[in-house]
Amino acid sequence: MLCLSAPKVQMTWSSNFLNSSNEQFSSIPPVNTELLSVQHVYWHADGQLILDDISFAINKGSFTGILGPNGAGKSSLLRCLYRYIKPDSGSVKFKQQDIWQQYDAYQYAQDIAVVLQETPTHFNLTVHDIVALGLLPHKGLFTREQPSDKQKIDCAIKQVGLVAKTLQSFEHLSGGEKQRALIARAIVQSPSLLIMDEPTSHLDVRYQIQVIELAKSLGITVIATFHDLNLASAMCDQLIILDKGKLVEQGTPQEVITSEMLSNVFGVCAQVSTHTQHKVPHISYFYGYDIQDITAQSSELTHD
Amino acid sequence: MIKMNHSLIIFLTLSFGIISFIASLSLGAADISFSDVTSSLLASFSTDKDARDILFFERIIWELRMPRAILAFLAGSGLAVSGLILQTVTRNPLADPYLFGISSGASLGVVISIVLLGSTISLVTPVAAFAGSLIAMLMLLMIAGRRQSQQVESMLLAGVALSFLFSSFTSLLLYHTDPQAVTAVLFWTMGSFSRAEWATLWFPAVVIISCVVMMLAYRRQLNAMLLGDESATTLGINVNRFRLVMLVLSSLITATLVSLCGGIGFVGLMIPHIVRFFVSQGTTFGILLTALVGGIFMIWVDVLSRIVLENQELPVGVITSAVGSLFFLSLLYFRKNKA
Repeated sequence: MLCLSAPKVQMTWSSNFLNSSNEQFSSIPPVNTELLSVQHVYWHADGQLILDDISFAINKGSFTGILGPNGAGKSSLLRCLYRYIKPDSGSVKFKQQDIWQQYDAYQYAQDIAVVLQETPTHFNLTVHDIVALGLLPHKGLFTREQPSDKQKIDCAIKQVGLVAKTLQSFEHLSGGEKQRALIARAIVQSPSLLIMDEPTSHLDVRYQIQVIELAKSLGITVIATFHDLNLASAMCDQLIILDKGKLVEQGTPQEVITSEMLSNVFGVCAQVSTHTQHKVPHISYFYGYDIQDITAQSSELTHD
Repeated sequence: MIKMNHSLIIFLTLSFGIISFIASLSLGAADISFSDVTSSLLASFSTDKDARDILFFERIIWELRMPRAILAFLAGSGLAVSGLILQTVTRNPLADPYLFGISSGASLGVVISIVLLGSTISLVTPVAAFAGSLIAMLMLLMIAGRRQSQQVESMLLAGVALSFLFSSFTSLLLYHTDPQAVTAVLFWTMGSFSRAEWATLWFPAVVIISCVVMMLAYRRQLNAMLLGDESATTLGINVNRFRLVMLVLSSLITATLVSLCGGIGFVGLMIPHIVRFFVSQGTTFGILLTALVGGIFMIWVDVLSRIVLENQELPVGVITSAVGSLFFLSLLYFRKNKA
């Protein structure tokens, strides 16, 4: 079995990112088929409504970013999508089938891979052990690994650029390497949808770009939560904005990233311009200003 | 983790295992040389009846020491694998087969059989111990099974609480019984392989081998559990159900061994940690090595229990705790210095 095209890691990714054509960042998903749909989802915990009537659809092949302030319900929404928490009401459908009624956990894991924000590291599993876990949803209890499985694991490790760390303990990897190892596990899982919960948190800017570029290079549908709005704007085809458990905006980065949205949802003063190279919305934050001050300055400038 | 070649580890462990087994047949109150042990073992496969009959110590080896060595190996393997599984599914490095009240339940069963039914340490004892362990296990499952969230905490806390509950009943019954019975119960709780017989060996063998095979089948799920409940769920595991299944398997092993050998602490806690220094345990190799090392360790504990005191047998539990804790502390010290 041949490895899939392995993107070069380290600085090459960064340069690919900087030199890439503008179309890459404003492209419309190649296949416009609905893969996942969320309809009127409500969920509460400890007497508090966490998700309040959420509805949206995700197209096959798209890269969707979920944004929102802390406590907006991003991780809870993802948990509903990857079948960890069951909504109080509403439905989540994957390939037109209800994920709670027509799938069990085992079947669902054959189609959906998840890279979580935090993973316990107090164990001595190697990178190889972690990546091999991607085979779990495809193997029976007494099924042994085949030579093709070994090749699949090796290819995935190569694809994320961790060949030299294959036998190294997972807990001794850097934050970026851990994320890449978990993405390699997702590759082995062969999903049609990859869900990532804040994949760039705790990572420096180089690793942030590496990890997201890697996820994009897989060519599958990706849903990820972000805190870096500029990164989300540059990398995502579609953005979903949550605030206090409600879906408040949905659309392309150009449609969604506006000063008004930033002011209303995040409570920050910011100017949104167009990135000179990638032609996507780019946010410049104003520090030490009140929203009213900026609004006043803007209106004065308009009058002048 | 120290990186070593798997083939080398297997070769060294198996070699040491064979030497340990022969040593356990050789050492004891009546010393039998290695060559005599080997001759006796080979003679038993011989069709020449005369050759078999000439070895006067054959009975010592085959009727006393062999079942005892096998039971010791099974006990060590079972407890070590049981500890590994519990540490994995609870993600608690201090989890141990005795932490969940199984041993206390067995002790209570034994005390009831002696004090209330008036039986001495006999055939009734293992049955009573097994019944006590099963009751403890069922109570633990009922409590842990009810809580879908925070299941690990429920399991651990319920285990500790049950352990104290059974111990209090045991103490109460012992308080009102005669000193002879107290001594018998005390000796039983400290563990021994002296009750090993060919006739009863099939029972722990079947239970432990079946449970280990099941655990090997679930090796991928066990690895996934190390990454946390949420991550394991995304890999298709019904986490709560899986944890309960593993708890049942470990409890069955523990209940079986406690009923036959009494309380042998520390092995289930220590052996998985020792093996973890050398290999990744979430593999077939890691689980089998844990079983092998646990078995070999227990064979030597049994040998020590027979030879340390002249004409007297030291309780196995005393040695496992003493030797095990010292060895464990030295390994921790070694690891700290390496870091």
